[in-house]
Amino acid sequence: MNIYDIIFYLFAIVTLVSAAFVVSTKNIVHAAFFLIFTFFGVAGLYILLGADFIGVVQILVYVGGILILLLFGVMLTNKITNVEIRSGTTQIVPALIGVGLFAGILVLTMVSTEWKSAPGEIPFTTAYSLGKVLLTDFVLIFELLGILLLIALIGAASIARREKE
Amino acid sequence: MPQNSQEILLMLPHVVIGVGIVISLLIEMYSKKSETILPWISLFVFVFAGVHSIINISANQILFGGMLEVGGKPAIFNFIFNIGAALLILNSIDYIKKYESNHGEYYILIQSAILGMMVMAGSKDIFMIFIGLELMSIAFYVLAGINKKKSSSNEAALKYFLLGAFATGFIVYGIALIYGVSSTTSVDSIIQNFSTFTQNILFIVGLLLFIIGFSFKIAAFPFHMWVPDVYQGSATTVTGLMSTTGKTAAFSVLLIILSASLINYNIDIFAPYFAVIATLSMLYGSIVAIAQKNLKRMLAYSSISHAGYMAIGLAAANSEAFSGIIFYLAAYTFMNIGAFGIISIIEKQNDANTDLTAYAGLASKSPILAAFMSLFMFALAGIPPLAGFFGKYYVFISAIEADLTWLAVVGVFSSVISVYFYLRLVVYMYFKESEKDIDLHIDKYSLLSVVVSGILVIYFGISPDSLLNLILSVVN
Repeated sequence: MNIYDIIFYLFAIVTLVSAAFVVSTKNIVHAAFFLIFTFFGVAGLYILLGADFIGVVQILVYVGGILILLLFGVMLTNKITNVEIRSGTTQIVPALIGVGLFAGILVLTMVSTEWKSAPGEIPFTTAYSLGKVLLTDFVLIFELLGILLLIALIGAASIARREKE
Repeated sequence: MPQNSQEILLMLPHVVIGVGIVISLLIEMYSKKSETILPWISLFVFVFAGVHSIINISANQILFGGMLEVGGKPAIFNFIFNIGAALLILNSIDYIKKYESNHGEYYILIQSAILGMMVMAGSKDIFMIFIGLELMSIAFYVLAGINKKKSSSNEAALKYFLLGAFATGFIVYGIALIYGVSSTTSVDSIIQNFSTFTQNILFIVGLLLFIIGFSFKIAAFPFHMWVPDVYQGSATTVTGLMSTTGKTAAFSVLLIILSASLINYNIDIFAPYFAVIATLSMLYGSIVAIAQKNLKRMLAYSSISHAGYMAIGLAAANSEAFSGIIFYLAAYTFMNIGAFGIISIIEKQNDANTDLTAYAGLASKSPILAAFMSLFMFALAGIPPLAGFFGKYYVFISAIEADLTWLAVVGVFSSVISVYFYLRLVVYMYFKESEKDIDLHIDKYSLLSVVVSGILVIYFGISPDSLLNLILSVVN
């Protein structure tokens, strides 16, 4: 086990343990804080795999943007309505069967597959080649992503619109 | 990149809808009369894209360096999506006024949903499938909850969003595993090496997750739990769009897997999976639909059983199945859009008049609506000589050719059950006295849409060869 493996397992443990806390804690603010660690762990894994750009975007967008918004959302809304937001776990047995079956198949596949090793050299930076590919081979996808974001924006505004009574 | 003007001309349907979205957005922002302008812009965009696709059906090309296929098979799908959407736009003009939700974004979101479907149907790259799916799904999540004052509509939107996102998770995970084996996202090169890849268990698991995700989208049996509530709660015109064109788009992706096993003469490894799904969906949908009193909920269960009939074709996995499924999708789209169109005419605010009892004695109040509703019900039940019959016929034939005669027998059995609840509505309309007086306002555009769907259903039924030859010309 070399240093690379140790760092990988460290990030993996951080991700998994905090994710388990996210779903098991009853307090929604605590869940949001644990989610920060999950996102950090995932960002660490990305960077470890040589995907530096995606790792940085993960931190910028998820940790810096979405989670802060989430925390603000929780803080600003939980006192306005008197509706208590129920958080808990129901239907444990069917969920265990479903998840167990799914995880069993995935673990079996993982064990029985002969994995290909990626070429050893990890690129110094991926942002350049990523940008080049996005604007040449995948330019149509790039354009469609623009429309997708526009639609998501319109949809969000439409949901938030206050109807005239 | 498109190299010359001819290539740009071929992808004009996509461009026109993309531009239509932006223009509609600008009109919605700056015009006070946007609610009256936007339906006509959307209608023009859809009719143009549909007609353009069907005219250029023989010009089959792959654009953007192996990203998007235009002409050929996608052209038929584009025709179904766009003409279906155009008919529903005609219905919507009156319908969304009833719910006071006639905002411009309704039309913008429908355009983007159709663009997403067209991308899915023409995709030659796994990323394109995913982006098309998201364009369609995100628009549908919002559209499902467009009637914001109705709590069942909000419930439908939330349920659809949560389960839709869950299904998308399966699809993305499947794509990751498929890429892990194939090291390419190009659909064509995956199809070429399909038989080598299928020896790898990782590829099979990835493909299985991918198929499970799309089984959610086509509303097949074990993944159907969202269907009744979402179809009942959403705005009727949106349900019409989701249950027809949305299902067609998901099937257009599943047909890629079918073509992979066809090209490689590979005994379809997923045939048992599709056979089980088909059997369960057909029987479950037909049997549970009998107990429904609400018409939208009944059509939701009927939509589950129709997904089952089409899945027979996927299990049969031969070239007859390929054309049979496309024919079935076209027939199903127009007869279901017609039926939902009539429901949207009769429906009043707050889900009033969507129960079977509201249709009692309709024949004396509006003979034309009753006649067309009976036509669509006969077509859905698969009674010759209407379009629905030939859809089922071609799919059953393909099952018999693939030595899956038992599946065809189950299909016929399930059709016989389904005749009961389709004809019950006809009995209500013609042989029952109306209990309450519903005041009927028939909008002229809605009626036009119903009539056009009816004509298409009759035409595809009387001369099925016209459509089938078109499909066969592009499939081979």
